[in-house]
Amino acid sequence: MRGLRAWLLRLVGSFGKERREQDLAEELRSHLQMHIDDNLRSGMSAQEARRQALLKLGGIEPTKEIYRERRGLPLLETVLQDLRYATRTLRKNPGFTIIAVLTLALGIGANTAIFSMVNALLLRPYNFPELDRLVRVWENRGIDEGADARFIAPQDAADLQSGAPVFDALTTYKCGDFNLNTEGNVQPVLGCHVSANFFDVLGVSPALGRAFSAPEEEPGADQVAVVSNGFWQRRFAGDAALPGKVIQMNGKKYTVVGIMPRGFDYPVPMELWVPLALSPAEKTDRAKLSLESLGRLKPGINLAQARSAVDSVSRRLQQEYPATNANRRTEVLQLRKELYLYTLPLFLLLQAAAVFVLLLACANLANLLFARIFGRQKEIAVRTALGAGRWRLARLFVTETLLLSCIAEVVAVAVSFWSVKVLRTSIAPSWTMWVPGWDGIHVDRIVLAFTVLLIAVVGLLFGFGTVLHSSQAQPYTTLKEAGRGPMLGSKGRLRSALVVAQVMFALVLLVCAGLTTQAFLRLVDVYQGFQAANVLRTEIRLPEKSYPENSQIASFYDRMLRGSASLPGASAAALVTNSPASNVDNEATFFTINGRATAKASEAPSADLQISSADYFSVLRIPLVAGRTYTFADNANAARVAVISRSMAARYWPNGDELGQQIKLGAFDSTEPWMTIVGVVEDVRQNWWNPTNRPTIYEPIFQAHQRSMVFLMRVASNPEGYASAVRDMVRGIDDQIALTGVGTLEKEITDSIAIIRIMGVLMALFGCVALALSSVGVYGVLAEGVARRIPEIGVRLALGAEPRDVMKLVFGQALKLTGIGLAIGVPIAFAVNRAISGLIFGIVSINLLLLAGFTLLLLLVALAAAYIPARRAMRVDPMVALRYE
Amino acid sequence: MAQKKDVWQGTLALMVLKTLDTLGPLHGYGIARRIEQTSGDLLAVNYGTLYPALLKLEQEGYISSEWGVSDNNRKAKYYKLTRAGKKQLEREAREWEQTTNILARFLSPGEEPS
Repeated sequence: MRGLRAWLLRLVGSFGKERREQDLAEELRSHLQMHIDDNLRSGMSAQEARRQALLKLGGIEPTKEIYRERRGLPLLETVLQDLRYATRTLRKNPGFTIIAVLTLALGIGANTAIFSMVNALLLRPYNFPELDRLVRVWENRGIDEGADARFIAPQDAADLQSGAPVFDALTTYKCGDFNLNTEGNVQPVLGCHVSANFFDVLGVSPALGRAFSAPEEEPGADQVAVVSNGFWQRRFAGDAALPGKVIQMNGKKYTVVGIMPRGFDYPVPMELWVPLALSPAEKTDRAKLSLESLGRLKPGINLAQARSAVDSVSRRLQQEYPATNANRRTEVLQLRKELYLYTLPLFLLLQAAAVFVLLLACANLANLLFARIFGRQKEIAVRTALGAGRWRLARLFVTETLLLSCIAEVVAVAVSFWSVKVLRTSIAPSWTMWVPGWDGIHVDRIVLAFTVLLIAVVGLLFGFGTVLHSSQAQPYTTLKEAGRGPMLGSKGRLRSALVVAQVMFALVLLVCAGLTTQAFLRLVDVYQGFQAANVLRTEIRLPEKSYPENSQIASFYDRMLRGSASLPGASAAALVTNSPASNVDNEATFFTINGRATAKASEAPSADLQISSADYFSVLRIPLVAGRTYTFADNANAARVAVISRSMAARYWPNGDELGQQIKLGAFDSTEPWMTIVGVVEDVRQNWWNPTNRPTIYEPIFQAHQRSMVFLMRVASNPEGYASAVRDMVRGIDDQIALTGVGTLEKEITDSIAIIRIMGVLMALFGCVALALSSVGVYGVLAEGVARRIPEIGVRLALGAEPRDVMKLVFGQALKLTGIGLAIGVPIAFAVNRAISGLIFGIVSINLLLLAGFTLLLLLVALAAAYIPARRAMRVDPMVALRYE
Repeated sequence: MAQKKDVWQGTLALMVLKTLDTLGPLHGYGIARRIEQTSGDLLAVNYGTLYPALLKLEQEGYISSEWGVSDNNRKAKYYKLTRAGKKQLEREAREWEQTTNILARFLSPGEEPS
């Protein structure tokens, strides 16, 4: 305690020095005077009395020095002194300070923003407790069906739950559309049928009211609903008395029992959940993969253990139920990993680019600081000559670099917060609401702390580096020779290496930026197999309750298509199961060609299946390659027909004899009817992530009935203007049907590749930053070199060298450094290109023109950076330069 | 060197405390004088040792200081023992006595502990 008290007083003593100093001087003076008085009293002469007293008491100044050290904290005082000095130095070199701070801030800011985004999206897309224990479980029928077809048969799910002891619990759900009736108005809401244990498995309970109980899973007892916070706020204005009230949906009454906390939105932004009530027949069904499933692993169970346990159950089921379960494999994937399968490589590329930018920034900072060291050799020599110790100097320079990094960090933190905000708001909320974790993007504290620490370490290293470097120099020789020496001697080699590295990094970053931008442009081009302009798009779903029969579905769609054809300005309308660029994969199916049946079901070929109305091809202007498209006459009473895509025709009928051939859906043993191929249409890319155009079978809508469809309508212009007309027209047919996702097809396409666009923009930004940083680096090295060589240049000029020769010298240096950097960078750029083209769809191969362009660009930038130093070198006045000798 | 100085500093602090305890509030010169006289002029106290010691004691809260006027009308800083200082003095005196006793036993010739 005493120690602490003393320390605090010393801390206080470090300030307000003046008064204390006076105090001490006075005390010592009075002490001396009293001593002299005594001496006088004992009979000494005045002079002798004073002399004796002074001899006895020792020097006043050393005493003051010791006293001072005891009074304050000397270390703190010198640190404050260093800080003051450092502030002054930085203020006197605003150019250096601004460039250094901006360099660091850019490096750190970019990194923090990108890492924060990646962390939020990849590591914490959902806010569920112990997220890593949640896994998606689904059955794979041996066809690659994509992320949107992860379903499981109800009875298989039940067998897994009881047979694989790795799950705490397994829950199943099935999403569907609900139409909410409020005062005669029908509004679509996003809803999901879930098992009673759904909320338990996710680990989130309602904020108000209760979740479902097991008895509510029985048909008849299932008219209860849990609603989302958003639904509660929007439609009921946060009425606390909502639990217990009744809402009308799909013509039935549901009692609201609970309200979920804000931010809970699984599987997608849902508005309400109702119990999944299956009939006994549905419960024991193995044939149809009708449910989605989610499991919570027991604590300590890892993914490999889960996979092997699930595998053994699914093998047993294969043997016991070959009719339904042959070739069916059960797959397990961590919930948080499921979402970003396609974009993960893009995220990684972006992250790598951010790290590159940071490296570039560090190289640049190193270069700047080295330049300062060389420029300050004289100052260091003077200080050393005046008696400054090595550690005292070290403290001075470390303080300076640390101060610099502190300023940079403040700016960097601001940049980070700002860039994260820009990132978050750069995509429309209507799109980001489907990106789990997007709202959770915030400046990641760990990332920020890490970069801040990194910069502190860089600052320390450079501070000490300066001292180590300067301590080698003899003050005498330095003072004598300061400012001389070759432009890039042994000490300049490190700096040159840094510039070479910068040029290399810049080239690689530029190439990556070019490739991603190119990939983005290609993605836009991907959807060129059809024409999206002037097409209105909306989704429609006919409830099973009111449309149980195929004939009813057909008559509704028939009326809808005829109704929309009569709208003024509409040229054609069509229905299709999945429109292009929906970011949802097509349903995949096995098929069998008549006469080419495979012996085993698993060897049957597979294709995408699209069901559409006759005018689909004309609405999207998909060209017909051969034969005919189907018409309204191809209905339930007519012979079954199909249209196939060009790539399917090319793959299975390379001789071009596909017309008239017969195919059926399913393997050799399927009971589906044979369909005759009547036409071939051009390929249409379904989603940007599909590497190729998948073989596709088109079936006419009136021969294959489906309740959920996408409605597309081509109009003369301004498709949005037709939204209300279409709504009215549908209401005229059935006022219980609501349309969802009304918008233009063009908008749908833009939105579907929004994330790629952001990546492209960010990469382009990184490329520009890289270019700027490397040009600053080249400029710094050359300018410094020229400044140091002015005497030498003076001699050369005095001896008759032409200004042109001097200019050549400087430009030659610039070309050499850049050339080496590019020579190393080009092969690396090729290697990086190869690595990412394997990962990211759309990046095909490096464009030689692009590469040449960037190389040239870097060279030009380097030469431009060399221009100012070169001009200064040319203008050296030999007389002035030599006067320093 | 450092070791020696520490011991000297420690004993000087004790001497200062004892002096203030005996004579009441006193200025730096008076303290130095008193210590020199008591030691029979064997010890010489100069600024360089006395004032840092006084400052340390003050920072630790054992003494407090106040400007005043000396007997012959000179402005001087007077040091006074605080309550904590009194306790510290007792403690230190006791410890010092113990130390000297132990050392005395070691140094007295020919006596084996019985």
